[in-house]
Amino acid sequence: MNQLNNALTLFFSLLVEAMPFVLIGVLFSSVLLLFVDERKLIAAAPKNPLAGALAGSLIGFLFPVCECGNVPVARRLLSQGAPSSMAIGFLLAAPTVNPVVFWATWTAFRDQPEMVFLRVGFSLLIATLIGWVFSVQADLRPLLQPAVARSMPTPARRSAQPAADLLQSGTFLIGSGQSLRLDTIDPQTATMAANPVLSKPFAVRLGLMFDNMVQELRELGGVLIIGSAIAAIVQVVVPREIVLSLGQGPITSILAMMVLGTVVSICSTVDSFFALSFASTFTSGALLAFLVFGPMIDLKNIGLLMTIFRGRAIVYLFVLAAQLTFLLTLLINLYVS
Amino acid sequence: MTSKSASPRSPRRSTFPWQLWLDVLAIVAWGVLLLNYWLTKKLNLLLHPDYMWLAVAAGCALLGLGTWKVWQGFQSARQRRARVLQPNPQHFTLFPPGWSSALLLAVAIVGLQFAPQPFSSDVALNRGVTDTLTMTRSQPQSFRAAVRSEERSIIDWVRTLNVYPEPDAYTGQKVNVQGFVIHPPTLPDNYFVIARFVITCCAADVYPVGLPVKLSNPRSVYPADTWLQVSGEMITETLNEQRQIVIQAIELKEISAPENPYDY
Repeated sequence: MNQLNNALTLFFSLLVEAMPFVLIGVLFSSVLLLFVDERKLIAAAPKNPLAGALAGSLIGFLFPVCECGNVPVARRLLSQGAPSSMAIGFLLAAPTVNPVVFWATWTAFRDQPEMVFLRVGFSLLIATLIGWVFSVQADLRPLLQPAVARSMPTPARRSAQPAADLLQSGTFLIGSGQSLRLDTIDPQTATMAANPVLSKPFAVRLGLMFDNMVQELRELGGVLIIGSAIAAIVQVVVPREIVLSLGQGPITSILAMMVLGTVVSICSTVDSFFALSFASTFTSGALLAFLVFGPMIDLKNIGLLMTIFRGRAIVYLFVLAAQLTFLLTLLINLYVS
Repeated sequence: MTSKSASPRSPRRSTFPWQLWLDVLAIVAWGVLLLNYWLTKKLNLLLHPDYMWLAVAAGCALLGLGTWKVWQGFQSARQRRARVLQPNPQHFTLFPPGWSSALLLAVAIVGLQFAPQPFSSDVALNRGVTDTLTMTRSQPQSFRAAVRSEERSIIDWVRTLNVYPEPDAYTGQKVNVQGFVIHPPTLPDNYFVIARFVITCCAADVYPVGLPVKLSNPRSVYPADTWLQVSGEMITETLNEQRQIVIQAIELKEISAPENPYDY
């Protein structure tokens, strides 16, 4: 009974702490959808996959969202036709490489400024590298959930038939001055890629923004609940002592912190304070691993990622991010501190 | 333009827009839950005070969003076409329709029934209070060496020890601290640990800090989780093969649990 009480307290504290950030996230995401033309952002992105991944990783500075909020934005970038390198770079880096998290980490580790810069630097490096790796897959759609894949424009077809702009086969709906192609699987998603919303009056857009917020809130809230429940149960059932006793060693401490970061699922905006409570028992490399890897992939986040990706892609992301984090922080443990 | 993006759902007039009202209920319930936790001071048990305004603001925002949804619901009930004209620019679903809102609503209802409990000594033991002397923040937020020793809280003591760990330096200093009782199995029968939980962000990251207390009688007089004010003076003893400071208790007074059990 006491265990249940503890689990529920943990569960609600995670939810109460995360809910405002989810709201901020869906707000930013909805504003991005309805007031910013991502196609301009996407058009401005460098064509080179490596530069695109780096640019995507830096978008976080424009959209200060934590990992609860970056998933809808990344989903939107993808559905607006962003190159995969840019979207993946954003997805992995945005929770860490943004002003809010930078400030929070700075507050927590004021006496160790190298932690702040290493955190941001490693996140940028890992996100850019993984974005670059994913750019090899020019058409991401086989890796995405069907709903997201359907909503994406079809770059392959466009490039295959350059002259077909004028004459295209398919079902069209004739509108005022412009006809709309209807032969995608879901007519609703076809309009999304075209983003007709930007041409509407402000009041209508505001209404749509709220509508969109509610939809995303519903979706992300449901996932957040499942993730927080898992995190709370694991925290109560597995004694933290066991996690901690894994150690002081340069390798085990990193692994333990990565597992802890994955399990605890704490929001990137506040996880530096959480890490600070382990500052004297764990190696700096392990703390960095927690701060870099936790925001990229954790239990809660995996639930959110499943709204974009199929399981296979999540496994790729997880393995790549884990390996890179492990290698980089091990270097810190062995050669720097 | 707008009719092209109309939702494919059947426009039958008799269909009750249950999804809309389920959303409204879930959103309003969460707004009420957050504000309820704040007004009943349960938020103290869940969050660090620095983050409470976020939860309160989120509660207000959710209520605002819910109100707007209600208004929209009545609007569309009155003029059914409005609903059809609203394009859904975005609709990805992981859950079957309605499940997510139902889950949010159900959890909010559980939350309204549930009173968060301050963590007890078994959580502290589970989270390892015995090695907490090394588990505090590396750099305290504020540190006053000149403070009179009897004005130090448990946290102040632990921070002071972190900076200067030699136990003998504190021998004879007066102690007056408040906390709850933990009975660590590793300590002899006439010792307990007086402890506080430190919260850095939310209840998920609270960790205990504590100081051992030496009694003249068996510790069973003071059951675990009792809140006590312990006054006495510092001595140095070797417990579990470790030289450390111990509070030699002179007076122990039972106090009521504070409204906010955490320290910062």
